[in-house]
Amino acid sequence: MITQPDHVPERLALLPASAVDTFLTEELLRGEQVHGGIDLAKVVEELPEDDARWWVEPIRSLVEDAMFEFREDRTRADAWLAPRLHATLRLTRREAADKRLWNHLALAVAPDYVAWRHLREPTARHPERRIAAERFRGPADRQCFSRLWWAAELFRNGPDYGPVEIACGNQDLIHTVLRLDLIDHRPTAQALVRLLERGTVTTGREINGLSAAINAAGATLIYDVLAPDEPRNPARLREWIDEAASAPPVGRHELPEGPDEDPVPEESVDALTAYFTELFETAPIRGRKNGD
Amino acid sequence: MKIYPYKRLNRPITLRVTSVSLRLPDGTRDRLETTAYSTQQQAVALGIAGHDDWSSATIGLSATLPPGADAPDAAWSDLRVLAVLTDGETNVRTSTELTRDTENGRDWSGSVEVLRDDHLGRASLAVYAVGTVDGVRGRSIAETDRSWVVDTVSDEPVRGLRLEVQKASFSRSSRDWLRVYADAPWVVDTSARVPTVFVNTDVEGVMGLLDSKGSGVDSKVRDLLVAQMATDVWTAVFHSAIGDLEVEPGSGPVFPTDWQGEVLREMLPDVVPGVHVEEALRQVHRRRTGESGWAELQTRIHYAAVRRAEASRALGYVIRALEQMNRESET
Repeated sequence: MITQPDHVPERLALLPASAVDTFLTEELLRGEQVHGGIDLAKVVEELPEDDARWWVEPIRSLVEDAMFEFREDRTRADAWLAPRLHATLRLTRREAADKRLWNHLALAVAPDYVAWRHLREPTARHPERRIAAERFRGPADRQCFSRLWWAAELFRNGPDYGPVEIACGNQDLIHTVLRLDLIDHRPTAQALVRLLERGTVTTGREINGLSAAINAAGATLIYDVLAPDEPRNPARLREWIDEAASAPPVGRHELPEGPDEDPVPEESVDALTAYFTELFETAPIRGRKNGD
Repeated sequence: MKIYPYKRLNRPITLRVTSVSLRLPDGTRDRLETTAYSTQQQAVALGIAGHDDWSSATIGLSATLPPGADAPDAAWSDLRVLAVLTDGETNVRTSTELTRDTENGRDWSGSVEVLRDDHLGRASLAVYAVGTVDGVRGRSIAETDRSWVVDTVSDEPVRGLRLEVQKASFSRSSRDWLRVYADAPWVVDTSARVPTVFVNTDVEGVMGLLDSKGSGVDSKVRDLLVAQMATDVWTAVFHSAIGDLEVEPGSGPVFPTDWQGEVLREMLPDVVPGVHVEEALRQVHRRRTGESGWAELQTRIHYAAVRRAEASRALGYVIRALEQMNRESET
């Protein structure tokens, strides 16, 4: 297994996708060898000097802790890392939508984490040990770090990362739901977490069936009316971002606190939870006999 | 046509933007000129006044419901009208209720807030009329048939694909990867956020030609060159969009939410004519990943690209200009 590159940059930067290929070698995808870091540093676009958020050290230390803590069960690292990465790397959605940032994090800062978390053991169908390239450079819901950041952003309830932990504890949920538009509606996200928490849905098939049913019903129902959300106050997020410079490292045992935004109205979550439960009971789920 | 299991209005809602203003960091507002939005293009360009430090934009809206929304025998009650702003790139969805202008009128108005921190490129804006039908709350009974495009960067309200042109000396560029293309006059990069054409300034005179104005042969040649570049771009973006498709188990490929989706929706009707874009997407995906038919499709992809680049027109003008020049030199 690879270790971190010899040269790890001190600050995050932007790595354009067109420059990625040189470093995304076969050896790296097999988890055998990583680039040295020096050449990569030459092709990045720097981020503003005076912004404390771009220091690499807090992120490096987080991923190292994750690799140690979850060495026996790597998938469990997602639920631990997602809220902590989100609270460490305080971004606006505008910044988080820039894939160059995530390219840099995965290739320059922590390729060893990507390999540790996503190196697939050989199977009968794929006889080679391999990391999917999309874990380094790929869609937001697949890339190693951006999927965690977005999961935390979309499932947090205001400052509360509790729901993120629950959502990320279920690989099927973040795998299926992160790519769907339905998750952009905050009450929908919270209602999904509640169903998971109650054990109403657990397996991948159940989650697939439920999200397909929510999507289908959403073609004629406007969830914003069934379950209204409060408008967000952008100043709260800005304040939280400005505090990044003075914030202590995120707790390793306790959950950190997110931006002090209003939580989703409770009535809205209740209404949707009830509605989804009903939908789920009548939805066709593979492997489930109707009338169970 | 979609079939709905309940009664709806069968005509779409029309949506117009009536004003746009930006909130600046010092707390003041800049009300943008009407050139910031275009009803014909159904697009808003927030970059038009050159501010790059605005914090939010307020877009004033007016929506007209189709006739029948208030009919005494209507199948719905609790009529409400909602403007919904979405952005697939940043997973933003915000909705705002509009209010009726006059009692029993068909016009509703209100405004939506666009937060700059929430968008990197484009958002889209749709309006829904929602009511309670057969005891079910929240039913959509009519909507806009085409969403408005809200571009947070652009300085021109157009909805078509935005393309960036950058010039660089390929042999000396700080972009290392360009060096291997030092002998090419231009290359297309589709991996960036918006497709980008890099023009190689090492080719002497190329920038002069591209910047040429007026009505001479030069400008006709320039247009032909631009059409050639555009053909390359359209072909490349189509391929990269098709190559990156995500496939939903059970239901097939899904349209990407960014510019790649826009490109596919625009080109597919020329690539696989006569079917819905969803079906066209499935067919193209099947041909690319299946055993046969991908090579045969290339001509159609090229055709779709050439049409978009308006290559025939550019070629026609060049030929005419050359004929004219030859005639003049003979006499």
